[in-house]
Formats: sequence, C-alpha cells, structure tokens
Amino acid sequence: MTKTSSDAMGTRRRLPWETIAIVAVILGCALTTVDFLWAFLRAPMVAGARLEEPALIGGTVVTTKMLFSQKIFYFHVPVAIVSFAFVIVAAVYAVLFLARRSERYDVRCRLCMQVGLIFIIATMISGDLWTRHDWGVWWVWEPRLTTYFILTLLVIAYFILRAAIDDPERRARFSAVFAIIAAIDAPISFMITRLIPSSIHPVVLRSDSGLSPDMLIPFLCGIFGMALVGFGIYRLRLRIEEQAAEVEQLKREFEQTVA
Amino acid sequence: MDPVLADAYSTVLSGAPYVIGAYALIWVVLFAFVVALLAKSKKTQRDIDDLRESIERRSRKEERQKGRDAE
Repeated sequence: MTKTSSDAMGTRRRLPWETIAIVAVILGCALTTVDFLWAFLRAPMVAGARLEEPALIGGTVVTTKMLFSQKIFYFHVPVAIVSFAFVIVAAVYAVLFLARRSERYDVRCRLCMQVGLIFIIATMISGDLWTRHDWGVWWVWEPRLTTYFILTLLVIAYFILRAAIDDPERRARFSAVFAIIAAIDAPISFMITRLIPSSIHPVVLRSDSGLSPDMLIPFLCGIFGMALVGFGIYRLRLRIEEQAAEVEQLKREFEQTVA
Repeated sequence: MDPVLADAYSTVLSGAPYVIGAYALIWVVLFAFVVALLAKSKKTQRDIDDLRESIERRSRKEERQKGRDAE
C-alpha cells in the first residue's frame, strides 16, 4: 500500500507519507488555531435583532444586537466542507475499485467514509448547538439540514451494508456502488441553498459573499486547516490498515514455520 | 453598564455556552478519534514486533535442529 516514486536513476523511492501526514496535522492545527484566535479577537460579530435605540460601540453606531453565536461559523462550516470532500473522495476510490477491482481502492474508500463520518458528526454537533441557541430548537427541517441528514444516514448505511455482507468481493463491489450513490447527496446538500434560499444557511462561498477580510481570512484558515487535519487523520488510519495487513502476513508466515 | 449597550451585547452571555460547547465538542470528537487510532496503532505495532520475534525464534530453533541433525 505504499506509494513510490522514481528518482533520476530510475530507482523507486518510497514517498515519506508518514512525515507528510505529521506535517499536515501540525500545519492544520496551526491554521485552525489561527482561525479560532482571529475569529474571537478580530472578526466582528454579525448583526442580530434590531435594538430599540442605537448604541455607540467603538466609535461606530450600532443599531442591532451582536450575535455571538455566529462565531460557531468559523469551525462549523470548515468541518462541513471537509466532510463533503471526504465523501466525494470516497466515491472517487469507489469508481476506481469498480474500474480496476483492486482491494487497495476498496480500503481507501472505506477509510474516507470513516473519516468523513467523523467530520459529519462534528458538523451535526456544532450545527445543532447553533440552531438551539438561535432558534430555540435542536432541529429544523430546512433544505440544507434535511439533505445533510440524508447524507449522514447514507454514510452510516454504507457501514451497515459492509457489515452485512460476508464475501469480501461482493462486499467491496456493493459498498463501492453505495458510496457513489451516497456521494451524489454531497453536492446536492452543498448547492441546495443556491436553489432554495434559506435564512439559516446563507450562501457564503460566492464571489460577493459579503464577508469582510477579517471574517474571510479566519474562515479560509479554518477550511484549509481542517482539510489538513482530515488528511493527517486519513493517513494515520491508512497506516493502521497497513499494520493490520502486516499482522495477517506475519501470522501466515508463523503458521508456515510451525507446520 | 449602559442599558442600550447591555441590550446590544445581550446575546453574548446566552450564546457563550453554545459557542464554547460547539468548539470544544468538535475538538473532543477529532481528538478522541485520533487518540483511539494512536492506541490501536501502538497495539498493532506490538503485535507485529511479537510475531516477528516469534518467527525469528522459531527459525533459529529450526536451524539449530538442522545443524544437530547434520552432525
């Protein structure tokens, strides 16, 4: 499962994926820390309900309440975007498996879905807390939330499907098809707010998002930071799979020496 | 505090537990997953080392046995 590259002499060298993963996690943590600090120390609070009379804050006339809960945005949206990315990458590996029938693509598809599920859980938790504070309820059946909930169920169903099939080849094939179907919901969930406008989920990722630099910079740091953290976690998970395969190989060798 | 300013910032205290909770839980979820993975990786590496050692011990024993049989 290790990737190799050739140098000028044509000798195959192993890419230092473990080093790359560690660097990715460290860089990701640094970027998310910048995101966190900037969000709370520099990024302005957004406007809420109208005040009965205007207030003067820091030399600026303020006519609305300051929404502190909006700060959740700077982590909630990055983890959501990374969750979409992992589900889509899982579908890419699923397509590769169906095309080439190599077990390594099935393994990578499964791992991407696992890491994607972790980020989906993080998105749901942060989103629910935001909804609870701003709207007084834990859940509303608005378009983005509904399609994201469907995505959550599809990812969970992927693992239930894998657990239900004993034959490895059939399990890989059926899982690959299901992963592709699940990934169809990811762009739908992402784009739904452009088709059906929602006050809870305004369109942020556009050329005129209205985000000031003090909001855009931490937001972008959050996206790239979480993506790097996710990549590092995925590589760590892949390393464990490689170790497990090595254990099986060594067990077979040991049994041969006993025999 | 000025009542208008207090009104402007009224959502800060009420929102703080949810904001802190959201950030903390995101990190707890990610951190818990990473810790679980590292623990599993460590255990699997120990299994690998034990198996390699067992295979090596057995190979050495077989070689010694072959040597004695040859004599």
